[in-house]
Amino acid sequence: MITPVEAALLVFILCCAVATALLRDVLAAIIAFGAYSLGIAIIWVFLRAPDVGLTEASVGAGVMTVLLLLTIAKTTRPPDDRTFEQVNVPALAVSVLLVVSLSATLFALPAVGASDSAVATDEVTNYYLENAYEESHVKNAVTAVLASYRGFDTFGEAVVVYSAGIGLMIVLRREVLG
Amino acid sequence: MTGLEALADRLYYLAAFLLLGIGTYTLIGSQNLVKKVIGMNVFQTGIFLFFIAAAFITGASPPLLTAPAPYVSPLPHVLILTAIVVGVSLTAVALGLIVRIYDEYGTLNEETLREVQADE
Repeated sequence: MITPVEAALLVFILCCAVATALLRDVLAAIIAFGAYSLGIAIIWVFLRAPDVGLTEASVGAGVMTVLLLLTIAKTTRPPDDRTFEQVNVPALAVSVLLVVSLSATLFALPAVGASDSAVATDEVTNYYLENAYEESHVKNAVTAVLASYRGFDTFGEAVVVYSAGIGLMIVLRREVLG
Repeated sequence: MTGLEALADRLYYLAAFLLLGIGTYTLIGSQNLVKKVIGMNVFQTGIFLFFIAAAFITGASPPLLTAPAPYVSPLPHVLILTAIVVGVSLTAVALGLIVRIYDEYGTLNEETLREVQADE
């Protein structure tokens, strides 16, 4: 069952998300997105995912906001003659259709927090939880899975970050070299 | 169980679906390229919320083995940690391309960009 604090946080992040979508000034949208990332980082803590919360707070709210601010510093903000954008009706129709079709599956999903859900009773989950400490000597099961059992995934992730760095250097070559 | 209770048990999933909708709207509806990137990030977080909510068990500890059992599933947490970092790399490259587009065409507005390209 969801607590009032969690429900309030969900309402907060949804309001921030709507604000990012509708605010015309890009700087204002970035600030709303920063607040959104912070709210969702707190939600991760409520959902017992402290590692994800830390990453979200540092990377989502921190690095991402800096990258977005650097981008508008190097480019432009649209002239803010209006506070809000005009609602784009075709886009609204597409997103409403998406939400309605996804929501049709809502009651087929197990309740959040159910201990008999497929994820909770899964063989892989329980293998990791039972054997992570003996096999890797790491007490944080998330770290054990990330760096040991699924180390190749993390290696792939490092390759992605490296490629992104190379890609950025190629794209911004003119600016880096002057 | 009444319908309202069933809905209250699934509010996280509903919020995730709404975030996907808001992300899609920003991605399609916004004219500004930077805002499209923000919309893409909102969409991603919607998927993260779905995964992390699926891992949650009421009354369970975080997957730190020093805490008392039962634990929430660590596997979705690991997948989402990887996804967050990949998402940031994606955003960085997208914003780099946006900076180049602005250097080249002097605008970040989708419509104006299309007109400038048509003129060439």
